[in-house]
Amino acid sequence: MSAPASVAIVGGGIAGVTTARELRGGGFDGSITVVEAGPACYDRPPLSKAAFVDGASLDSLRFATAEEFAAQRIEVVTGNRAIGLAAPGERDGRVTLDDGGTLEAAGIVLATGARARRPAFPGADLPAIGVLRDYADASRLRAAAHPGSTVLVVGAGFIGAELASGLLALGAGVVLADRNAVPGARVLGATLATQLHAMHAAHGVDVRIASVIGAEAADDRVLVRLDDGSTVTADAVVVGVGIEIDTSLAEAAGAEVDGGIVVDEAGRTSVPGIWAVGDATRRRLPGGDLAFGAGHWEAAVLDARGTASAILGGEPAARGASWFWSDRYGIHLEVVGRLVGDGEEVVRRAEPGRPAAVLRVADGRLVGAASIDDPNTVRAARRLIDQRVPVTTTALADPAVSLRDLLRAAR
Amino acid sequence: MAEGIPVARVGEIGDDEAIVVSRATAGTVDDIAVVLSDGEYYAIDNTCTHEEASLAEGWIEAGTIECPLHGSAFCLRDGEVQGPPAPRGVAVHRVTVDGDEILLTPDPSRLA
Repeated sequence: MSAPASVAIVGGGIAGVTTARELRGGGFDGSITVVEAGPACYDRPPLSKAAFVDGASLDSLRFATAEEFAAQRIEVVTGNRAIGLAAPGERDGRVTLDDGGTLEAAGIVLATGARARRPAFPGADLPAIGVLRDYADASRLRAAAHPGSTVLVVGAGFIGAELASGLLALGAGVVLADRNAVPGARVLGATLATQLHAMHAAHGVDVRIASVIGAEAADDRVLVRLDDGSTVTADAVVVGVGIEIDTSLAEAAGAEVDGGIVVDEAGRTSVPGIWAVGDATRRRLPGGDLAFGAGHWEAAVLDARGTASAILGGEPAARGASWFWSDRYGIHLEVVGRLVGDGEEVVRRAEPGRPAAVLRVADGRLVGAASIDDPNTVRAARRLIDQRVPVTTTALADPAVSLRDLLRAAR
Repeated sequence: MAEGIPVARVGEIGDDEAIVVSRATAGTVDDIAVVLSDGEYYAIDNTCTHEEASLAEGWIEAGTIECPLHGSAFCLRDGEVQGPPAPRGVAVHRVTVDGDEILLTPDPSRLA
C-alpha cells in the first residue's frame, strides 16, 4: 500500500506529535495536520512532578515552538476539538471540528489519549474536587496548595504519589487515601511498593487506608468522609484513580473498540486508513487477546514510531520490555519489564545510604528491574532483558557486580 | 604545543564512561561531558535540554548518550537529539589527544 497523500492526527500529546515528527523525519512529503483540543501541544508527565512544584509555564512544556513545527511543515491547530470522523474511502477521510470546520486527509491517526476517571461518590462534583490530567488541572490544584492549606489526594498510584510529594513541597498539608495498604504492589511487587509507599508517611503525609464515601461543602472547604470512619477537611481534593478512554470518534468511523480503540502491532484500526496510537488504544496480541494499555509515556512514543513507519510502508520495529519512570520526594524511580508474576524476585542490597534495586528472574533470564536513583542499572537491565542474556540470581543480588559488566560479558 | 585545555590523561576515562569538566574550567556557559565510546573521545554540553540532568551520568553506548532521567538519546558526534522528551540537541566541542593528554577545545559560541 502506498503512503496516503495527507495525514490528519487527532490529539497533540506525545503520541500525536511524535507520529507527526516521525512521519516527516521518515520522508513523508504530504501535508501533516495535528488538531489538539487544548491550548497547545505539550508534555504531560511534568504536570505531577517538577513542573508542578515550580509552576512551570505552559510554554516551557511545549514539544516545539511554532517555528520548529513550521520548519517541519507540521500544521498545528489548537483549541479545537474533533467531534466527528468519517473514514477515508474513495474520498479523503473527514474530521469534524467543534468550531464547525472540517479537516480532510487521506490518512487519519487517532491520538486522543485518555481522561482521568471522574469520581462517583456523592459530592464529587463540588468545585474543590478535581483530577489531574492537563495543564489547567495542574494550575488549579497548585493554586490551592500553600502553607496552611490541606489537600486530600485520593489514590496513591503514580500520579497520586507524585502529587503528594509535590503538594508537600509547596507547603500544603497532605492527606493521601488509598483503599489498598500497599498501593502499586500489583505492578511493582510488594517489596518495592512497600518501600515507596512508606516514603509518604516518612515525609509527613497523613496516609489513610480508605475510600471516599462522600463529600460536602464546609464553608470554603470540603468535608470528605472516608470509609474507615475518619473525615478530612480539605481546601482541595484531587482524585487519581485511573483513566477512561473516549472511543466515540473511532466508533463514529466504524472502527472496532473494546475499552479502547483496538489496533494491531502497527496501530492499524479495523478501518483502512485510520490508525490509532497511545493511551487511547488496546493492542491485539498475536494470540487474539487484547492487551491493556500501559498508559506510559514511552509506550506512546513507540506506538507513534511504529505507526509512522507503517504509514510510510515499513514494518514497525520489534518492541522490547516496556520502560517508565516516576519522580517523587527527590528520588528517581525507573522500571523496565515486569516485576510481578512468574519467577523469582532478587533484591540488590542497598549500599550504605543507597536504596536497593529489585529485579525479577524467570527461567534464568531477567524479565524485569526497578531502581531508585540508579538509572543505569535499569538501562543495563533493559538490554539484558531484550537480548535474553542468561543471568544468575547470585550475580544480580551482588551490588559489587555491575549489570553493565554482565551485559559486556555476554558480548 | 597542541591547543586545548588538558582535561584528563588517556586511560582515566573508561570505555562508555564520561567525566565532567566544569564550566569554570572550560570557560563555557554549561559544564562539558568528555566521553569515551567505542575508542573515540567526544565532548558535549553536559546539561540535558529537557530538565536539569547531567548527561555524563547517563547510559553511553555506540556513540550515543542517554539522559539519566528520561532517556532522551543524543548523538555524541553531532549532539543531535534522537528522541523526546528533550526538545533539541546539545552543543558539541572538539577533543584531541596529544600524547597521553586529552585536550578540550570548547565551541567558541558556547564560551561564557
